[in-house]
Amino acid sequence: MPVVHEHSERMRKFKNKGKDAAALRRQRAEVSIELRKAKKDEQILKRRSISFSLMDRSVSLGEEKSNENIQLSLEEIVEAVNGSNRELQLQATQATRRMLSRHKDPPINQIIELGIIPRLVEFLTHADNASLQFEAAWALTNIASGTSDHTKVVVEGGAIPAFISLLSSPHMHISEQSVWALGNIAGDGPLYRDALINCNVIPPLLALVSPVTPVGFLRNVTWTLSNLCRNKNPYPPLDAVKKMLPVLICLVQHGDKDIISDSCWAISYLTDGSNDRIQIVVDTGILPRMVELMTSPELVIMTPALRAVGNVVTGTDEQTQAAIDAGVLAVLPRLLRHAKPTIQKEAAWTLSNIAAGPSQQIQQLITCGLLPPLVELLDKGDFKAQKEAVWAVANFTTGGTVEQVVELVQSGVLKPLLNLLLAKDSKTILVILDTISNLFLAAEKLGETERLCLLVEELDGLEKIEALQIHDNNMVYRAALNIIEKYFSGEENPDLQPGTGQDGLYDFSVEKQDFNF
Amino acid sequence: MELSDANLQTLTEYLKKTLDPDPAIRRPAEKFLESVEGSQNYPLLLLTLLEKSQENVIKVCASVTFKNYIKRNWRIVEDEPNKICESDRIAIKANIVPLMLSSPEQIQKQLSDAISIIGREDFPQKWPDLLTEMVNRFQSGDFHVINGVLRTAHSLFKRYRHEFKSNELWTEIKLVLDAFALPLTNLFKATIELCSTHANDASALKVLFSSLILIAKLFYSLNFQDLPEFFEDNMETWMTNFHSLLTLDNKLLQTDDEEEAGLLELLKSQICDNAALYAQKYDEEFQPYLPRFVTAIWNLLVTTGQEMKYDLLVSNAIQFLASVCERPHYKHLFEDQNTLTSICEKVIVPNMEFRAADEEAFEDNSEEYIRRDLEGSDIDTRRRAACDLVRGLCKFFEGPVTGIFSGYVNSMLQEYAKNPSVNWKHKDAAIYLVTSLASKAQTQKHGITQANELVNLTEFFVNHIQPDLKSASVNEFPVLKADGIKYIMIFRNQVPKEQLLVSIPLLINHLQAESIVVHTYAAHALERLFTMRGTNNTTLITAAEMAPFVEVLLTNLFKALTLPGSSENEYIMKAIMRSFSLLQESIIPYIPSVITQLTQKLLAVSKNPSKPHFNHYMFESICLSIRITCKANPDAVGSFEEALFMVFTEILQNDVQEFIPYVFQVMSLLLEMHKNEIPSSYMALFPHLLQPVLWERTGNIPPLVRLLQAYLERGANTIASAAADKIPGLLGVFQKLIASKANDHQGFYLLNSIIEHMPPESVDQYRKQIFILLFQRLQNSKTTKFIKSFLVFINLYCIKYGALALQEIFDSIQPKMFGMVLEKIIIPEIQKVSGQVEKKICAVGITKILTECPPMMDTEYTKLWTPLLQALIGLFELPEDDTIPDEEHFIDIEDTPGYQTAFSQLAFAGKKEHDPVGQMVNNPRIHLAQSLHKLSTACPGRVPSMLSTSLNAEALQYLQGYLQAASVTLL
Repeated sequence: MPVVHEHSERMRKFKNKGKDAAALRRQRAEVSIELRKAKKDEQILKRRSISFSLMDRSVSLGEEKSNENIQLSLEEIVEAVNGSNRELQLQATQATRRMLSRHKDPPINQIIELGIIPRLVEFLTHADNASLQFEAAWALTNIASGTSDHTKVVVEGGAIPAFISLLSSPHMHISEQSVWALGNIAGDGPLYRDALINCNVIPPLLALVSPVTPVGFLRNVTWTLSNLCRNKNPYPPLDAVKKMLPVLICLVQHGDKDIISDSCWAISYLTDGSNDRIQIVVDTGILPRMVELMTSPELVIMTPALRAVGNVVTGTDEQTQAAIDAGVLAVLPRLLRHAKPTIQKEAAWTLSNIAAGPSQQIQQLITCGLLPPLVELLDKGDFKAQKEAVWAVANFTTGGTVEQVVELVQSGVLKPLLNLLLAKDSKTILVILDTISNLFLAAEKLGETERLCLLVEELDGLEKIEALQIHDNNMVYRAALNIIEKYFSGEENPDLQPGTGQDGLYDFSVEKQDFNF
Repeated sequence: MELSDANLQTLTEYLKKTLDPDPAIRRPAEKFLESVEGSQNYPLLLLTLLEKSQENVIKVCASVTFKNYIKRNWRIVEDEPNKICESDRIAIKANIVPLMLSSPEQIQKQLSDAISIIGREDFPQKWPDLLTEMVNRFQSGDFHVINGVLRTAHSLFKRYRHEFKSNELWTEIKLVLDAFALPLTNLFKATIELCSTHANDASALKVLFSSLILIAKLFYSLNFQDLPEFFEDNMETWMTNFHSLLTLDNKLLQTDDEEEAGLLELLKSQICDNAALYAQKYDEEFQPYLPRFVTAIWNLLVTTGQEMKYDLLVSNAIQFLASVCERPHYKHLFEDQNTLTSICEKVIVPNMEFRAADEEAFEDNSEEYIRRDLEGSDIDTRRRAACDLVRGLCKFFEGPVTGIFSGYVNSMLQEYAKNPSVNWKHKDAAIYLVTSLASKAQTQKHGITQANELVNLTEFFVNHIQPDLKSASVNEFPVLKADGIKYIMIFRNQVPKEQLLVSIPLLINHLQAESIVVHTYAAHALERLFTMRGTNNTTLITAAEMAPFVEVLLTNLFKALTLPGSSENEYIMKAIMRSFSLLQESIIPYIPSVITQLTQKLLAVSKNPSKPHFNHYMFESICLSIRITCKANPDAVGSFEEALFMVFTEILQNDVQEFIPYVFQVMSLLLEMHKNEIPSSYMALFPHLLQPVLWERTGNIPPLVRLLQAYLERGANTIASAAADKIPGLLGVFQKLIASKANDHQGFYLLNSIIEHMPPESVDQYRKQIFILLFQRLQNSKTTKFIKSFLVFINLYCIKYGALALQEIFDSIQPKMFGMVLEKIIIPEIQKVSGQVEKKICAVGITKILTECPPMMDTEYTKLWTPLLQALIGLFELPEDDTIPDEEHFIDIEDTPGYQTAFSQLAFAGKKEHDPVGQMVNNPRIHLAQSLHKLSTACPGRVPSMLSTSLNAEALQYLQGYLQAASVTLL
């Protein structure tokens, strides 16, 4: 995660020097290390084809039923594949494909060890034998669906140009299988993705998108396109992105939920980057559609649409404004209250980045009624979402005007925020402590420090902050200590102002202020 | 140093000497060891000794010395020499783990600590085989070894609980998980198996349970940052076993000790923490297991006894329930009326009971009791946990819970009524229950601020609290008395005023109670009642309403200070201060006796000041006595001086550092009370106040400056005539202060008083010097605070000596200096000046420069005239400029060494704001208009032309407003 805290720390000191709001925005966390299970709601990187019914029906027309049940040993396969008998080649390739399409534990490694991959790649070029081409393509697709090492074997066998040229095969099922195989190769990572792009995969792929393309086929194309948009370090080349975007814009308008989902994923990848990348997407005018899709009842659509819009608001103030103008603030409340924790979390993250904007945007956030769901989320949300909500509040208090901060406090943010000081996460605690300091800065400007002190104490915040003075994390305990010393240790002094000050004798002299410096 | 027997022998000798009680033997030995610790092989010699020495005491000593050596030297600090040679480092890392594991427990602990220190620096990159080495030992089957490994792992991994997420940290955790999670899980399962095989073998069980505790702790550390994939996949194993451990009991593991928690308690306590961690952070994944844990933990609570050893377990367990019951999606687990009743009856009520241990604390350790009960340092107590659970349940079930408890409260009160002397604890629990049920929000200052509306607090007060306090004996049932007083205190804002007034004599009466807790609470309650606000910002309880009680109040308060255990009771002293402040002149008749008692107290505590709060309130009380008395009768100041100076002299002579800043403040107050010339007794002290030793202590500076200012106000002429030789010393103090960024404003306070009050001729010869000093500071280390003070000073100077004198003295230091200061300092910075009086001084000073300084009209300075006027109008009209340049932001009072002896300002010794231009100028805007008018009459035409050529439109408009208000026009 970027060092946002340090930024906000600096922001406070530079408050009067004009804000650099972008510094507060948090890009999608760049974690190269993950402790958690891979997220279930991420889009799938590689897919193996195990469905017999659809595919087999299209090819079995020209085949003898009996062929399907021929069992060959691995040795027989090697021999047949390397031999020159075309009938046996087909049988062996088919047997290989069938093994690789097994529902459980496909023997990918064993097949690779047979050394037949280059030969299977070669079969792809046998334009006179469509069945062989198709079986080889299918087998290779499933090998490429494995680990990176598996994909590597396919690529190094020379499959990329072969598959690309098969995109234009007159046989639709071969073309479709190639799309799938290329999707698996692209999904492996930026290296192969760019290898595909350099081999000019995009024009023939895009040519497959037409009003008459069957939905199933179009789903595969969309998925492969999304993999071509996917991954950072480096990003896909700009001109490739520019070629794919107009088609993706059409695809998000499609009626099929899987096509919409995958094209939304593609958009989410394209927006997950620097501001100039975001700008290219914003310029297409796609945001209103994305915001509309955020309200989709289908989780598979809502998730990537939310991610895409969430990415856009990590950008500049203008880009964020474009998302606001597209109506994102109107749909966020529903998402913040969504039953699924990951949706809550993404929505809160999105909100936190909008709250990092200039005070006009913060005002829109207030006007659109985002404060009540934000407070609810802080109070009752899932912990992951609560963490993001804390960031939203922190950013709000850093960039908001005094009046806006007052409104935030009036909406009841303090109680759940202070409760989260018990969170088992040092960073969250620190962000809350910083936020409390921000609130005190605002209170000082209004001469309401005393009232805020009481409020914090009433809500059991004081004892929590006091307890944090012995926290093991240095920065946490120092931040807590700081607040206590600054606002709560002079306990006696305000106390000592007697109610009997009629004669003015008890006025504080000017030097008192300065002692506190 | 070679690894030789001779060296081992020498080292043994020296180690032995470090244990000698005689410092003459011990110190040189310690010094020697320090001097050789940089030598190669030194750590290896220590390791050899701790393994092979014949004497156990040397083994232990060597292990401690080794750990401390590692602690001091292992870390490699950038730009500093590596303090341990590489071959020693390698040898240590290669040997320490097996050595630790084969050592007896005492030494194992030291080595385990050493490993974690090394690990913090070297693990994982520079100690790649550590994990494997550790994990391999799990196979050993020897639980002494296994526990050593687990303990080491715990000290290595526990930092995951508080560090921020970072790629580096997570890389390490991932590495640890990959190598450690599976073996740990297997060990966990195997250990649990062994527990059932050895269910009848007490000593085996003890070792196994120690392992389980460590395993549970490791689980907490490894799961803290995020839910690792491995543990998600193996949640079933871990949670099922944790759950069954929670419900497990084995007689062999029960301890006889009532206070110290046993292994079973520690383990269950840690499991509660683990469950709470999952419930808070990984709710989505943990949901299927949570209801089981709620039931298990609740059953655990129902079956756990009252002994202290269960306290941590019980409070952890209750806190778990409290955090869960507030979550909307678990509401249903508690909803059922039977469940609620059972939780109230079996979990909450029993844990609110006053236990033998509480009773002991009440009587024998009252300070601790008060701190816990009154100041809320009760976070880990059972009562507190139970109270939190009540509040948690009230979030969704306020009505039913209040209903259930009302029944209990009534039955407990009935029990009490049957036989008070036996059943008084029932009433205590009833009061506690009502309190925790009723209080929704609370602050120290106001007591309860939000109450449960379903509880009738006043009725309970009248029927059950007041009767106890009205009873004839103040010493009967002290706990109930304390409860009753506390009830008044915290519900003071809910109980109507007339009830409070009825309570006041009762509270005054209880100041006489023998129980420290009772009379302390009585004093505290009175003090709190006296600070309550009524309408119009006055006190709720007035001096008039207190009139009948003044004598008895003061008598009982001072008598309470003589009760055993309360001679320096801060609550009582604070109540004395607050009573004085409330009662004002009605205390005057008692002052002679009061001041005698206060000075005696002061004399007594100055022998050994130990209670800072007590002392502070005592000085505040002295200040109040002086103020109140002298306001009515200024001549009384003499009698205070008579009473106090003897003690003060003793404090100053004995250099009682804690009290000196207070003494200076009281002296300032006394001196300011004098209407005539300064008394000679003060003048005799004057030279001593300039002693550098006094000024070296930061805490003395503000009160000493204040005192010197009082001297200058009252005795400037006397100083000029009788102590002229001390003027350089006085200015020396100024110079010392001005040199410090933290204290320069104090220097300016002093300088301003000197300029304002000293006869001009007495400081004439020093004036140039003063400015040079200021300019030097300006040049070398300019800060915003300094500039603000500087601007105020030069304008004050200008007012006192005239604008021309200011210009002349500047230009005599360096040609064109005056113009430079105007252009570079005054014009751009004037806006930063803050404070009404300060702004006024600057406005009047600048007006003088504009209108009474001829060089401004007829030299090259003329070009600065309009910008200066514009800046002045800005000072009037623009908001204060509070920007502070970056680097200055970091200057802090803490940067001054020795701030520890912080200055404690006495509120009741407060100084009135002083306005040196008050008489002269009422409205500085009008004054500017009038002065400009005068100037324009002297040189017609010039002023309007300067205005029209370069003053900006907005400023001009403001100016025209001033001219209009002053009814003048410019010629």
